[in-house]
Amino acid sequence: MTPETTAELLHGTLVALILKTLARGRRHGYAIARAIEEATGGVVQVEDGSLYPALYRMERSGWIEAEWGVSELGRKAKLYRLTPRGRRQLAAETAEWARFATAVSRLLLAT
Amino acid sequence: MNRFYLWPWKAPVDDEVDHELAFHLEMRTREYVDRGFSAADARREAERRMGDVARVRAACRALGEGRDRRMRRIEYASELRQDIGFAWRQMRRNPGFALIASLTLALGIGGTTAIFSAVDAVVLRPLPLRDPARLMVVAETWKGLPSDVSAGNFTDANAGLTRFEGGLTAEQFSSFNLADGGTPERIIGGRVTANYFDVLGARPAMGRTFRADEDRPGSEQVVVLSHRLWTRRFGAASAILGQDIRMNGRRYTVAGVMPASFDLTTNREELWVPIAFTPERKAMHDEHYLTVYGRLNADATAQQALAELEAVASRLRRDFPKDDGELTFTVIPFTDQFVGDYGKRLLVLLGAVSVVLLIACGNVANLLLARGAARGREIAIRTALGAGRWRIVRQCLTESAVLALCAAAAGLLFAKWSLAAVVAWSPPGVPRLEQAQIDPAALGFAVAAALVSSVLFGLAPALRLAKGDVQTGLREGARGTTAGGFRDRLRAGLIVSEVALSLLLLFGAGLLIRSAIALQRVDLGFDPHGVLTARVALPAASYAEPERVVATFERMAEAAAKVPGVTQASITSYAAMGGGGGSNGLLPEGVPFAIKNLIQSGLRIITPDFFRAMGVPIVKGRGFDDRDRAGGQKVMIVSARLAAIAFSGQDPIGKRIACCEQRPDGSADYKVVVGVAGDIRSRGPATPPAAEFYLPLPQAPADAWNWTQRSMYIVIRTAGDPAALAQPLRAAIARIDPDLPLFDVRMMSQRLSSSLATARFNTLLLTILGGVGLLLAASGIYGVIAYFVSQRTHEIGVRMALGATPGSVVRLILTQATRPVALGAAVGIGAALAASRVLANQLFDVSPTDPATIAAVVVTLGAVALAASAVPARRAAAIDPTKALQAE
Repeated sequence: MTPETTAELLHGTLVALILKTLARGRRHGYAIARAIEEATGGVVQVEDGSLYPALYRMERSGWIEAEWGVSELGRKAKLYRLTPRGRRQLAAETAEWARFATAVSRLLLAT
Repeated sequence: MNRFYLWPWKAPVDDEVDHELAFHLEMRTREYVDRGFSAADARREAERRMGDVARVRAACRALGEGRDRRMRRIEYASELRQDIGFAWRQMRRNPGFALIASLTLALGIGGTTAIFSAVDAVVLRPLPLRDPARLMVVAETWKGLPSDVSAGNFTDANAGLTRFEGGLTAEQFSSFNLADGGTPERIIGGRVTANYFDVLGARPAMGRTFRADEDRPGSEQVVVLSHRLWTRRFGAASAILGQDIRMNGRRYTVAGVMPASFDLTTNREELWVPIAFTPERKAMHDEHYLTVYGRLNADATAQQALAELEAVASRLRRDFPKDDGELTFTVIPFTDQFVGDYGKRLLVLLGAVSVVLLIACGNVANLLLARGAARGREIAIRTALGAGRWRIVRQCLTESAVLALCAAAAGLLFAKWSLAAVVAWSPPGVPRLEQAQIDPAALGFAVAAALVSSVLFGLAPALRLAKGDVQTGLREGARGTTAGGFRDRLRAGLIVSEVALSLLLLFGAGLLIRSAIALQRVDLGFDPHGVLTARVALPAASYAEPERVVATFERMAEAAAKVPGVTQASITSYAAMGGGGGSNGLLPEGVPFAIKNLIQSGLRIITPDFFRAMGVPIVKGRGFDDRDRAGGQKVMIVSARLAAIAFSGQDPIGKRIACCEQRPDGSADYKVVVGVAGDIRSRGPATPPAAEFYLPLPQAPADAWNWTQRSMYIVIRTAGDPAALAQPLRAAIARIDPDLPLFDVRMMSQRLSSSLATARFNTLLLTILGGVGLLLAASGIYGVIAYFVSQRTHEIGVRMALGATPGSVVRLILTQATRPVALGAAVGIGAALAASRVLANQLFDVSPTDPATIAAVVVTLGAVALAASAVPARRAAAIDPTKALQAE
């Protein structure tokens, strides 16, 4: 899998991945990217240039909220957390992904 | 993790994005360094992963700003919700305050809304005509006033004009005996040219209007009905179209029915027929009876039309020097003519009722101030918890707005009720007033009035509350210890403005009341008591010959005199204060003929008993009697005023005056003056007596039956109740001709009171408003003074302990009240003198700056202010010094 196709694939699912990551607790933007990379064993590489516009868009939609806090290294950082609306959105996106993945798997893995 | 700061962001979005992206790049760089990259390579790799930083930054900033706007909106809405909920709970917690404040405001908001609805219906709402701004009334002028147009002038003008779309149209108001099935009825109708409805820009609701070929002598037997007549007389049946109805003894085919909204003249005509000018009428320039309308071309101005009319007029002056020697035309926008001065009168009322609303706002402001003192602690706590001053003000204003909107809801009920009362009691003839109702426009007005009021009465108390020093507010025993004098400018200012405003209202009401009294005292020149009047008209078809007309009216006079209870009975072409009547140009013998030498005088054609029936004295010479027959010596009686104008001091008896007709050889027809009658105020008490003259019925000029359309008044006098004579009189006339309806049957006293109806209505309304304003101002003064007394309890206690008498305490408080009241009175007098000019056209025999009225109003107001402050002053005098001091 080349990075380009990963980016394209991620474009639709980036939001779901961010939501899922934040469901485990509040994080700043870089930590979100790292968490996704680590959780997928480096298969999914977050494109940093898409990450932040996505975060601001999700914030505007009211799915996530941000506060200024302090990072693990004691630096001032903007920390995101899920809102109740974001939690509902995550459930919806997950269901949609599962439906999509099942359908695609059924075709690609058919013997 | 550490504590987080709360929204909203202190930093603007730009800093937020910059910081966040920089932090990210730094963390990525660190990551690559950890993986073994050189510092420079790590940085480059981090930037590569970010891509176009400038683009990302721009995208984030734009999104961030959108997010912040949304947050602010949400925050504002949630605060508003909180404030409204809080305000609602505050009102429920203080139901007494909420009730008094909203009832006070409801009075003002309801009153203004009701009058606004009337203004909206009469003045603001567009007329139900196509493009009403282009519709003009074209009139001749007589002594500077617009007057009716002659058929000849109308015809000639119409031929030479280009600025009017579809030419001019003319209407002659006329009455019709409608005798179709039911009881015969007298109906006002308009005889109109065929283009009448097109020029006015109105379409029929049913059927059609007139065709050009119907506007010709012999084919004019078609009629268009008004909606009112159609519903009242024909049960709103659509089958009426194409049917014949009988009027004036002839048959007319119903062509169409106009919509209800087409009700645009004060004559309130109920049907229209083609005017069908004969060539002879088209040539007559000296009889003026047409109302003329024209619709300006889209690109024409009234000025251009007037210039064109002046060209026509100059030609007519040259061609018909005898009839049109001084002819000029004028052009008046139809809307102005239609609304007349009712618009101005209504605006005066709207102003007056707004003043009441202002006084009400003053009272509520005072209540809020008093409550604000009690809420100082609560506000101090909120401020200590971080609420900014603007936030406090906003919350207070929200409370005011909630209060005012509740008041508006109650006010709408009040408005509905008072509008119904206004419509019911209003004088007849106010155009479209009956269409006034509490509609969405009125609703919008009430809400707007409520919101404006809430700022007016709420802002000052809110600012004061927000400014309140946190420390004094939190200290429980904080007490105003101001010694002597009015320290509280705001409250004193409330007294000043309430006194000034109510003085303004009272002065207006006072002027109108004085006018009304003066009108009651006017000597009419006749005695309206015990007099019944009625009108009757003979149809041209069955009463063509003048001899037959005269004989019939004489029989009616005799029949009326025989009705039991009648002491005097008379027939006259005009009584007083009603429709009809006409005037003629008179030329005393020896005065050379010229238009400007003619003395325009009101004409009455009468039977001999007119003067006795009306109670008009003959001051010189004799009245008419049996000597004054057709073919005998032609005679006339002149009014004292006419005698003075025509003969300036010489004895008028035996002098000769030419009028009304020509002798067969074309020379002037002279009548000998045999008597002088006392002057009478024919047009009501407010109009001075005009020059008038009287001709005996048998000697009436033949043409007069065309001028009067054979319509006469019956005037009977009785020692008993004139109303009881209406039925026997009707029966007596029916015995002469059962097809003749008596119409406009009214006691003279009713005519008198309806001629004063407009004045009385305005007086009543302004007096009510003045009274309400005075009551509100009194309660406002009471409130403020009572507050001062409560603030100074301690000080008064000390004074009394030191030997002050109760009398001196009362004096102290009253003196304190006097200053703002006096200042308010001074301001009010100034404002009243400046504003009373708007009433000038409604005043009779009293100047708009009448000093006696000012004095009376100031004394009234002073007495009420004194009474309002006396109550708290006496309470102050009753203070027990020991208790007052112990309370410390």
